[in-house]
Amino acid sequence: MTVADRPSRDPATAPLLLAARGLKKSYGRALAVAGVDLDIPERAFTTLLGPSGCGKTTILRMIAGFETPDAGSILLDSQSLSGVPPERRPVNTVFQSYALFPHLTVYDNVAFSLRLKGQEPNLDNRVRRALDSVHMGEFGDRLPHQLSGGQQQRVAVARAIIAEPRLLLLDEPLSALDRKMRGHLQIELKDLQRRLGIAFVYVTHDQEEAFALSDIIVVMNKGRIAQKADPLTIYSRPADTFVADFIGGATLVPATVIAAAPGRATVETPLGTIESAAVDGLAVGDKAALVVRPEGIAPAAGGAASLSGEVTHSVFQGERTLVEVVVRDIRLSLASHQPPAVGTSIDLVLIPERLFVTRLAA
Amino acid sequence: MIGRPLFSGFALGRTHLAIPVALVLVLGCIVPLGVLVVFSVFEVDFDAFVLMPALSPRAWSDLFHTWSFWVLIGKAVISGAAAALTTSILGYPIALALASAPLNWKGIGTVVLLTPLYTGEIVRIYAWRIVLGSEGLINTLLLDLHIVASPVKWLLFTPFTTALVLTYNNLPYMVLAIWVSAEMVDKRLIEAARDLGARPLDAFFKVTLPLTTPGLAAGVFAVFALAAGEMLTPSLLGGTSGQTAMAMIDNLFGTAFDWPLASALALALLAALFLTAVALGFCLTRFKGARAVIGRGRA
Repeated sequence: MTVADRPSRDPATAPLLLAARGLKKSYGRALAVAGVDLDIPERAFTTLLGPSGCGKTTILRMIAGFETPDAGSILLDSQSLSGVPPERRPVNTVFQSYALFPHLTVYDNVAFSLRLKGQEPNLDNRVRRALDSVHMGEFGDRLPHQLSGGQQQRVAVARAIIAEPRLLLLDEPLSALDRKMRGHLQIELKDLQRRLGIAFVYVTHDQEEAFALSDIIVVMNKGRIAQKADPLTIYSRPADTFVADFIGGATLVPATVIAAAPGRATVETPLGTIESAAVDGLAVGDKAALVVRPEGIAPAAGGAASLSGEVTHSVFQGERTLVEVVVRDIRLSLASHQPPAVGTSIDLVLIPERLFVTRLAA
Repeated sequence: MIGRPLFSGFALGRTHLAIPVALVLVLGCIVPLGVLVVFSVFEVDFDAFVLMPALSPRAWSDLFHTWSFWVLIGKAVISGAAAALTTSILGYPIALALASAPLNWKGIGTVVLLTPLYTGEIVRIYAWRIVLGSEGLINTLLLDLHIVASPVKWLLFTPFTTALVLTYNNLPYMVLAIWVSAEMVDKRLIEAARDLGARPLDAFFKVTLPLTTPGLAAGVFAVFALAAGEMLTPSLLGGTSGQTAMAMIDNLFGTAFDWPLASALALALLAALFLTAVALGFCLTRFKGARAVIGRGRA
């Protein structure tokens, strides 16, 4: 990456591509999207992350034009998409099940959108380039049912990028693949996105996938946005207990705020009184949660111990071992290279600069 | 020697289970055809009204030299093909609407679709006479609204009537065949087509139509055969134009007692219909969609 294109990747400074305001959608009595404002910058990889039923796919379908919002607006390049049918939106989709046309060859699938536009002198070149960009150049004559899942996924991507959309929507495109193929294709997708410079909006329920791919992660819960930030912020400063819990790997310790300053708080917890970074807007007396991740806790050296607990589990993970310790009825995890035996007692210290106080999710 | 089949070289496999059915089909098809072929070279003693075994070309010669027989055969082919065409054009929108309708509407649609089939042909024919006649529903309405000054005559007892009623009678078969096929087309494929720039009509011709050709083919074969062989509707509603090959065969077997000529005409009609059906089938399998759907099992 050169220095020149670095600023464009910064979500804060990239020009705005898509702006959604007050999006609402319900199916019968079920509210799928409950008032969402969403900005998608150009050239960025944005991921909508959340459990199933959180409204992420509905938002994608409203951007693509398959669903009409009950309320709210979507602007793409400052043009309203309201009333614009899917075929006239400069947006293409990679579907969860790929939705390749079973009666057309790989080549004809990829050429589909260009042929609809009529005369295209470079059709053959463009189809071949699109197929090459997903390493499927030699499979043009095959029919979709003759391909593996990973190959079908690649063809679906080639078919969606060939018309050079302003925005590419991907609806859990890797969820049907095995773990190894998924990791492989994640790298390919990220590469492709960098090379093409097209903005991607990616929907997934897999937080590891979101961290691996995204410039911006939008965590969704019950039809609302719980937090929108870069992956590091989502990980280290979760906006509420839902985000912290969904990202996983953290223990949420019940806490009461006893002193608050902008961005910092002092809380009373079963593990003691702790001062650390915190979400804004906490007030003295609020119920909150202390987010403790494995790196926020360490075995005590010498007499510095503030806590003592019993080792209950030890999970070997290759380069490290995750040790589960119960301290005052709270299960904590810490990473260790020399794990203590299960059943023994261990002295621990909390590392306040790696802890975070967040609010309880609604 | 334990476990050795009793007759070496012949073990019962799954494919052998089809043998009884195949036998019934072959016998049920070959035997009557053979009887027709044999009868067509017999002779008739018209004084004694007796069929006499012989090897006579008389019936075939009569058939080839009577052009009105060939007109009737041509009429059967055209009327079958026309009914297949009109029912498929009318049937597609209905079948697609049913395929995308909510579940309880599909039930209502099925009942509406099938009820006319269960009313019986004679009842339907007289109902059409009441609707289309000079003093029928449509003419009364047109006269009362002062749209026409005198009753429209061509509604009943014309080729139009035959075509209309053959289309109506056979529409359910076509709709059912296309509907089943359309239910199996993944709705996301239509979304994908729209997403890639296809207007609704493009999506129909490029995705829905190719993927439903197996259903269309089933409907076309069924409607073609049913309409081409229809006798009651043309003769009771078609007026002077209502003469059909089937009615002629019926006459020859019955009133005229010319079994050889009846057999020869029946065989010629069968050959004409069969060749047309083969040609239709050939056209339909040219579609990429049919090949993809039928060939999917060979992955």
